[in-house]
Amino acid sequence: MSIARVQWPDRIAAGEVVKVRLLIQHPMDTGYLQDLTGKLVPRNVIRQLTCTLGGQEVLRVQPSSGIAANPFFEFHLRAMQTADFRAEWTDDRGVQGVLTQTMAVA
Amino acid sequence: MSVKGQSRRQGVIRLLLMGLPWSLRPAQAQRMNSGQLLSFEAMVQPLVKGAPLRAQDVRLHAPILAENGSLVPVQVQVNSPMTAQEHVTHVHLLSQRNPVTQMAVFELGPWNGRAEISTRVRLAGTQELVALARLSNGEFRYARMEIIVTESACVDAS
Amino acid sequence: MNTPRTDAGRRHFLKVSSSATAGLSLGFFVPERASAADVPQLNVWVEIEPNDTIVIRYARAEMGQGSMTSAPMIIAEELDADWKKVRVEYATAHDNLRTKRAYGDMAAVGSRTIRNSQAYLRQAGATARHMLVAAAAQQWGVPASECNASLSKVTHTASKRSLSYGQLATAAAKLQAPKEVALKDPKDWTLIGKPIARVDIPDIVVGKTKYGIDTQLPGMLHAAVAACPVFNGKVKTMDASKVENRRGIVKVLNLGEFVAVVADNWWRAKEALREVAIDWDVGEHGTLSSATIMAHFKAGMEQTELAVARNDGNAPEALGKAAKVVEADYFTPYLAHATMEPMVCTAWLQGDKLEVWSSSQNPEATLAVGAATAGVPQPNVKVYPVQLGGGLGRKSPQDFTRQAVMIAKAMAGKPVKMLWTREEEIQHGLYRPASLMRFKAGLDASGKLDALHIRVSAPSILATLLKLPLPKGVDGQAVASFNDHPYDIPHTLVDYAQRNTNVPVGFWRSVGHSQNPYGRECFIDELAQAAGKDPLAFRLEMLPNTEKSKRDRSILEAVTKAAGWGSKLPAGVFRGVAETEGYGSWTACVCEVSVNAKNEVKIHRVVIGIDPGYAVNPDNIVAQFQGSVVHGLTAIFWGENTLKEGRVEQSNFHDYRMMRLNEMPKVEVVIAPTGGFWGGVGEPAQAPLAPALVNAISAALGKRIRSLPLKNHGLSLARVQGPTA
Repeated sequence: MSIARVQWPDRIAAGEVVKVRLLIQHPMDTGYLQDLTGKLVPRNVIRQLTCTLGGQEVLRVQPSSGIAANPFFEFHLRAMQTADFRAEWTDDRGVQGVLTQTMAVA
Repeated sequence: MSVKGQSRRQGVIRLLLMGLPWSLRPAQAQRMNSGQLLSFEAMVQPLVKGAPLRAQDVRLHAPILAENGSLVPVQVQVNSPMTAQEHVTHVHLLSQRNPVTQMAVFELGPWNGRAEISTRVRLAGTQELVALARLSNGEFRYARMEIIVTESACVDAS
Repeated sequence: MNTPRTDAGRRHFLKVSSSATAGLSLGFFVPERASAADVPQLNVWVEIEPNDTIVIRYARAEMGQGSMTSAPMIIAEELDADWKKVRVEYATAHDNLRTKRAYGDMAAVGSRTIRNSQAYLRQAGATARHMLVAAAAQQWGVPASECNASLSKVTHTASKRSLSYGQLATAAAKLQAPKEVALKDPKDWTLIGKPIARVDIPDIVVGKTKYGIDTQLPGMLHAAVAACPVFNGKVKTMDASKVENRRGIVKVLNLGEFVAVVADNWWRAKEALREVAIDWDVGEHGTLSSATIMAHFKAGMEQTELAVARNDGNAPEALGKAAKVVEADYFTPYLAHATMEPMVCTAWLQGDKLEVWSSSQNPEATLAVGAATAGVPQPNVKVYPVQLGGGLGRKSPQDFTRQAVMIAKAMAGKPVKMLWTREEEIQHGLYRPASLMRFKAGLDASGKLDALHIRVSAPSILATLLKLPLPKGVDGQAVASFNDHPYDIPHTLVDYAQRNTNVPVGFWRSVGHSQNPYGRECFIDELAQAAGKDPLAFRLEMLPNTEKSKRDRSILEAVTKAAGWGSKLPAGVFRGVAETEGYGSWTACVCEVSVNAKNEVKIHRVVIGIDPGYAVNPDNIVAQFQGSVVHGLTAIFWGENTLKEGRVEQSNFHDYRMMRLNEMPKVEVVIAPTGGFWGGVGEPAQAPLAPALVNAISAALGKRIRSLPLKNHGLSLARVQGPTA
């Protein structure tokens, strides 16, 4: 189960384009490295990330093993009114993560 | 690089001629024992599939020198009004020599207000990065830059 | 004389002119002169002073390999410069960053400074020459084609007028660099191929050279460091109460992975460090030993999942049907580098500006690591080049730079020189990986080699040090000279079991070529013996004069001819031979030895040769090969780092012995360049030496020697000079 954090400015005016920063705790194991016993650590990366605001999709990302551990994403969205931001992701093992946070818009 | 003269790929031809021949560049990424370098065409054509492609409107920010390949910050800005009529639909981050060429693809829309994304990538050695944007009219725009992974200098050559 | 200087005092005003886009692709910027006092710059590589002194820049590290002379020779050749007027200066990593890498790659690794930069260095020299000729032609109002450049002068052939480069430089620097220039045909070279004296040698001999360890700055502090003796351990607790108030001790730092004592002189720092009580957290690594490591490697041999590096034909099947099967396991140990100058780095953080003086083979990596560690932007970092007291591959990774900058950050505002003790260097190496190699070969009824299966069970430098993904799981370094062997054999299978341990591994001069050719060429001798054939004839049979193996064949023939292979030897003297390819060059070696009743090996001759394509500086090649023999014999006879309770047992030269002057045999170097390509010189010599020597010793003893070092077989190196020689 991975932990995540999302950040945006404290004060947001309606109609403003805001920068959103999302950080997810996840090893993003590439599947190319071995442990000390010589066994390959199997690939386990986040395959799909979807972000919605007030139920509407605002970002979809398909990462790969080329995204560094503890994936960080920064993107923009136009905030119209106070709404719930929701980030959902799934990894190779099928483990799902969710983060919700209310975006307050003046 | 070899250039084929098919009319529907004129945009590509123009760009390839403007591009710098790799063999003349002192800072070229050379053949690595453990990874082949893809040509620019091989990197983009599976996604572009012959649609118009121009080296403009996209800014790719990343450090020229990366200490190691584990964590390289990358930012892509695409110049676009992000309206319903005219916006960026996808931003692809492509790697020249990673085992997986498409490092990530971001799906955007007018709701984003700005076509600007950042993330942190892994690089398997010195190589070129391409930021490829797909526009709502089906055309593509791109920017490319070489990132030197200083730690892997020992193997970044034959 | 031509002593190199660091760049600290000289300012460059390099600006990209809008008309120079083509020049951009070659990394040549049209300079903008800031003031009349500035020296005319023809391009980033060449400046010419009014008194005719030509400043040529060298953009890599100099660690005794001599490319600080050879690389500028290449520029001077095309420039048609009078070498006596050339002064070599370093280019810096920060200049390289500022000019968007106008100097290209700056790492002195992989024996590739010359072969990877020769094209653009020649371009730089030729471009500058072209501009000088154009300037003269303009001044005289004659076509450039009527002018000739030679020895720092341009002459108008018809009128016999001439101008020196110093006189022409200002005008030439204002001209646009040509987009294309013709390069000289190698047969017209007047400088390349000549045994030019190295520019840095006189100063080295008289002790004037400033190495990284000699860095002195006003108010500089000194730091001695200790990392956990068990690799990857951390500081649990630290008690510095005994020393922190001592005279001269400024601070004792617990930096997690290591402890640093900062003092006003290094002796005080080092002595105080010994009395800091450190409790280390060694995790689960405290039981690692050479025995557990060997068991780990042996388990790799039995692995069912292996990475396949080469698969010609069907070796397992062919081996099953072979008339004769020969099997052998070979082993080579971990090796610390033991550069004469231990790890040293001086760093000074003032606000958000960082300056570093680092004995580093990779100045750009030093810059990037410095910036990241200090938390300052890369453009705020200056990396000043210094001469390295040996690099050998140890000083390309930046572990020690990181430490120095961490200390400098803690001592913000003060310059700190961090220096490792010899013990720290031997016990915190990035070791040449130990390697277990298994060979199995099938000979047919006529004694011809039909099938070869080589399995390597060893750590992967690429996967552990560089965290690089390995295509198909193969680390090319671990199977070097196996997966690319030149012998004409119908069936070859090379597979690899990656067996990492807690011992950190890195690039030791010639890397996989420091160990694999030993296994390969000694095993080939075993096969020759099983086939009842002369080792040279056995090899030549498998090296036809085809594109694939003609250079292996030609260097083998050149060296064995120089050694007089086949001629009668005195009683008790035996020969051994080996050949291999690496770093773009082909090498071979013949050793003549005798072994006395006390198992002392007397080396009568070492004949070692190279085909580097073009030999830029033959004198330097000889020096590199002589040095490689010293380094190689040291490793072959005594080199090994063993582990007990997670720690490296060796610590200094009393138990990690080096060769002595009176043990040095005569080395005959054969330079046999076949032309047409540029091969490396710094590392290739290590490769054929061990197998040639061991093959000779095996012939003398009548038994095979399948592991190094030789001391473990009771063998020692006899003195060749002195009372008992």
